[in-house]
Amino acid sequence: MKLLIYIWRNVTRNKLRSSLTILSVGFSLALMTILFGYLAMQKAGELEAEKYDRVVVLNKLGFAAPLPIAHVEKVRKLDSVVTAMPFAWFGGNYKNKQATFAQFAVDPEVAFDIYEELTISDDQVEAFKKNRRGTVCSKRLAEQMQWELGDRIPLQGMIYQVDLDLELVGIYEAPTNSGAIWFNWKYLDEEAQRNPTGFGPGAGSIYVKCANKDDVEEVAEEIDAMFANSDSSTRTRTEAAFARMFADMLGDVQTYIKYISFAVVFALALVAATAMAMSMRERTTEIAVLKAIGFSKQRVLALVLGESTLIAIIGGALGIAGGLGALNLLASVPIAASMFPIPVSELIGVWLLGLAGVAAAIGFVSGVVPAIMAAQLSVVDGLRRVV
Amino acid sequence: MNQPDDPVVLVEDVCKEYRRHDQVLPVLTNMNLELQTGDYTALMGPSGSGKSTLLNLIAGLDKPTSGHIYVCGEDLSQASHGELARWRARHVGFIFQMYNLIPVLTAYENVELPLTLTPLNRKQRKEQVKTALEIVGLADRMDHYPKQLSGGQEQRVSIARAIATDPTLIVGDEPTGDLDKKSGNEILELMNRLNEEFGKTIVMVTHDPKAAESAKRTLHLEDGRLVGDTDVAPMEPTL
Repeated sequence: MKLLIYIWRNVTRNKLRSSLTILSVGFSLALMTILFGYLAMQKAGELEAEKYDRVVVLNKLGFAAPLPIAHVEKVRKLDSVVTAMPFAWFGGNYKNKQATFAQFAVDPEVAFDIYEELTISDDQVEAFKKNRRGTVCSKRLAEQMQWELGDRIPLQGMIYQVDLDLELVGIYEAPTNSGAIWFNWKYLDEEAQRNPTGFGPGAGSIYVKCANKDDVEEVAEEIDAMFANSDSSTRTRTEAAFARMFADMLGDVQTYIKYISFAVVFALALVAATAMAMSMRERTTEIAVLKAIGFSKQRVLALVLGESTLIAIIGGALGIAGGLGALNLLASVPIAASMFPIPVSELIGVWLLGLAGVAAAIGFVSGVVPAIMAAQLSVVDGLRRVV
Repeated sequence: MNQPDDPVVLVEDVCKEYRRHDQVLPVLTNMNLELQTGDYTALMGPSGSGKSTLLNLIAGLDKPTSGHIYVCGEDLSQASHGELARWRARHVGFIFQMYNLIPVLTAYENVELPLTLTPLNRKQRKEQVKTALEIVGLADRMDHYPKQLSGGQEQRVSIARAIATDPTLIVGDEPTGDLDKKSGNEILELMNRLNEEFGKTIVMVTHDPKAAESAKRTLHLEDGRLVGDTDVAPMEPTL
């Protein structure tokens, strides 16, 4: 019989207590996995965005204020710019229900020149350019929505007083998670013009492909300088900085998240230690018997620490798996796709080992005091009247 | 090194005191005792007479306040706790009143437990466990957990655990104290067999005169002193 079997039997001895301890460790580790996973996703998104030669032009007033469409042409004329396109948030309902995916009005003529990393057939790009009602989406989104080429996608405007009747003409492969459809900005503009009570779309934000990847910072400054004295002055960021903006919105919250996580871990270690101490107290005589038959202090320490660590590792493993599952679930909601730019499977790395280490540490720390008490137990006292 | 004629247990001028705050409670006073290899000794006396304390000292579970205890030629009073633990694993088998089997382990695993402290490999351990369980007549119950056994069977597993390592000394604390008469007699019969057939040296504490009668020698203690030493012809346990 190996010591490990004995440890395992002790873990399963009081199933309710062990299960609750495992669940408490697991739940906390799941939360930590989600929090740190989200931060890792943001970091990965930034790194992905750094590969590209794009800048994003926003209204200086903020994210929600659209830029005039005339800005697009002015940007295109810059020598340092290859091309640019509007990127206007539509925010409509799909089939009269809140859409689970984002919708952007873009310029089909240049969209796939700006997003060169997207893989799509030339026929579909041509169809997107020619069909005013045409729309394209990622393969992942098409699979999630069970769309096929030729399907009609009716959208009801919530910001703009127009309804759009889109036709899926292209499905592209994307290196990162994308939960948005793109359609022709002119179609939106035309429909908006027909409704005299409504207002035009504007450009929303502007996505710009730069001539030289190394000059993206300078291009951003150049664009902002150009519109500095206009009615709609701009704040231009590299795409990586734009991705980082969402993480920065959390600001110090990230630091707080980390501190709170550590506080949770500490509280959890105390809870687990209480459970372990109760367990050891119930087994005082048993430990005394082990020591009587010759178990050394070290062996008793190993037994107790092994048990507490095993419980925490099981909880940690379940928690991390559950956390990754939850991240996967969140990432599968198309509207949240941009917050989870890379597949969850790509997140599996050293930081997860770190979390597993946290789980093991919870177990170890929670077992230290009960283990020392067990190791120090006087055999005679433990056996009470026995021998 | 112990010579063939040397006593297996030699207690020399042993005193044992417990301290509670400022109070000193003497439990054993100037105890002198010899036990020979193959002895089967019962320790009797009223509660508080020091018999359990004496047994703890002989078994290496506790150390005397003064004096020396030699078991198998080793001075236990000078040994550290770690040395005592290793010594107990090699030389002592324990039989407890409440059996004290590990409830999450099967009979086989309980008997194997002290063998995990020895250098024996798995196959050798298996042989030892099977032999011990056969001696106590429970070879067919080796996969049973303690809760699936009767009190008498649990005590027999406890005895198998005590003899599995082939110890020099078997110590028992009221091994029949929690058993009905029939099971108690079976246990006494088994202990007699261990002594007679396998030559085991046994020391047990008991309150039961019947149990004491099964031993070859009975030591009476009162107020921490040896007041009687009787050699008796062992009686056959009766139902």
